[in-house]
Amino acid sequence: MVPYLMVDRRRRRRLAGTVRALEQGGAAALELGFPFSDPIADGPTLEAAADRSLAAGTRWADLRAAVSVASARLPTAVMTYANPVWSRGVARALEELRAAGATGLIVPDLSFEESAPWRSAARRARLSLVLLAAPTASPARMRAIASASSGFLYLVSRFGITGRAPPTASRTLRPLVSEAHRAAPRLPVLVGFGIRDRSSARQALASGADGIVVGSALQERLDGGASDSEVERWLHTLVPPSQPDKG
Amino acid sequence: MPRRFGAFGGAYVPETLVPALAELERAWAESRTDLAFRAEHRRLSRTYAGRPTPLYFARRLTRRAGGAQIWLKREDLVHGGAHKLNNALGQGLLARRMGKPRLVAETGAGQHGVATAMVGAALGLETVVYMGEVDMARQRPNVERMRLLGARVVPVTTGSRTLKDAINAALRDWIATVRTTHYLLGSAVGPHPFPSIVAEFQSVIGREIRHQSRAAFGRLPDLAVACVGGGSNAIGTFHPLLRTEVELLGVEARGPRGSPHGADSLSRGRPGILHGAFTYVLQGPDGQVAPTESISAGLDYPGVGPEHAWLKESGRVAYRSVADDGALAAFRWLAEDEGILPALEPAHALYAAVGEARRRPSRERIVVTLSGRGDKDLEVVLGAARSRA
Repeated sequence: MVPYLMVDRRRRRRLAGTVRALEQGGAAALELGFPFSDPIADGPTLEAAADRSLAAGTRWADLRAAVSVASARLPTAVMTYANPVWSRGVARALEELRAAGATGLIVPDLSFEESAPWRSAARRARLSLVLLAAPTASPARMRAIASASSGFLYLVSRFGITGRAPPTASRTLRPLVSEAHRAAPRLPVLVGFGIRDRSSARQALASGADGIVVGSALQERLDGGASDSEVERWLHTLVPPSQPDKG
Repeated sequence: MPRRFGAFGGAYVPETLVPALAELERAWAESRTDLAFRAEHRRLSRTYAGRPTPLYFARRLTRRAGGAQIWLKREDLVHGGAHKLNNALGQGLLARRMGKPRLVAETGAGQHGVATAMVGAALGLETVVYMGEVDMARQRPNVERMRLLGARVVPVTTGSRTLKDAINAALRDWIATVRTTHYLLGSAVGPHPFPSIVAEFQSVIGREIRHQSRAAFGRLPDLAVACVGGGSNAIGTFHPLLRTEVELLGVEARGPRGSPHGADSLSRGRPGILHGAFTYVLQGPDGQVAPTESISAGLDYPGVGPEHAWLKESGRVAYRSVADDGALAAFRWLAEDEGILPALEPAHALYAAVGEARRRPSRERIVVTLSGRGDKDLEVVLGAARSRA
């Protein structure tokens, strides 16, 4: 399981404790989100979280600090939109993230077609660049995305943005995940978007995915004031500790 | 079709949309060589939209300026009151061709929303228009018109609650509904192929200017002026004139005098990635997109079409900005001198054109694209007059 956590300046003192709770709750890795003013792939929960984080003054330096803290416990990938990275300079941004301890970068609005310069910058910085694959991709396109992706393949489970929405039925998810495995035989396939409870998590894992990403639902818990130990217990309800986690 | 204009353009979008953009590009490419499609488009442009629009000599405005002649390309006379229908009609026909029964659109001033609602009604397509709450308040008449035309208007309450956020909301809808929905993008912005499609459907403006200026005064104008928000009427005006000697001037909105939040991205922005394109963007530290302010909702946008970014860098087109008070002054001049209420968007271009006319000899001819009529802006204009009084 891979939780997604939005970086927020106001939470910086709490971050180490939260990361520890995520780890004990079964997280195998972590996605740290850097907020962007115009998050077109995100639903209301993460958009509101980004707005609040920006209003609180979250800056790139906060991301680097958060990566340092988180990566001490869990392999940490950064997820943000293209413009914050572009505005810093792609090569410089990637080197800074690598130096802080990040292992990967996920950019939801970076299409395969525009990814070439980013891929070479990622290679130079020894950082995985994770591209997203979607249900709209043809097999050929899925292969192209898989071959351009490193670290893992991020499979968007359904048509739509992040957050609350009807979960994808496993009978539609299973062929999609198989397609992704065929396209990326050497990469773990992680499924994200819309995983929010025990049943959607179980469905996603039953589809053959190597792991799941949990973002909006975790953010809702944090927004609701959940303590770190409550977060830990909640993660256990998604994927019970007895179940081997391949993520 | 080129994905890039110089370094600008491209398609920075979530993966879910990439196949839809490819499908759109294919449908568009096929339609261009499909004689039946073109005939249908021509027929509707003439009998529904009311094309061609006239080129009008603004005699009394010219006298006020006291220099070069000012001619108006009357896009305010297109059905619906703005140039937006040129593009909405073309893309509506493309949507029908692709078998998509539903349209989504964003709108700022409401003109593109009205145009999309009209096309949705005329072609029998379900229409949903996203509009920022701030814009809904300042462009009420257009909200009512869209509803009467059968469109569902969805208020956007996130971010700055203006055009930028309406585009975010429309993109999110499209990501979820892409199999049955066409995103009828209204400006020359966004991911490839939208900037090229919008430019082509709007280029009818510049083509008519070419013919009509030859008929009216025997040659091409010396200068063509158009306002630039996303830049659709400007790109339509400029495109057919790019390979001529005509000087081209794009006019952006500087916002309230002294405000740090003007919407003139080509003057004060820097290259970045917004709404799927690499272009000039008004942005703060870390690439966070900056809030903007302008009296005209249609120009109140922190980005600009990527082809304009390229035309600026290449030097072929000059861009400058005009503040709110300039637009209001030009609004009154045109009302008093010519009996025409211009929309506040082209009022920015008019103000710059009058300034140009003043310092040019009377033998020169300036064409200004009057991209829309001002009925929608009465409340804003009267409110500004009251607050000054």
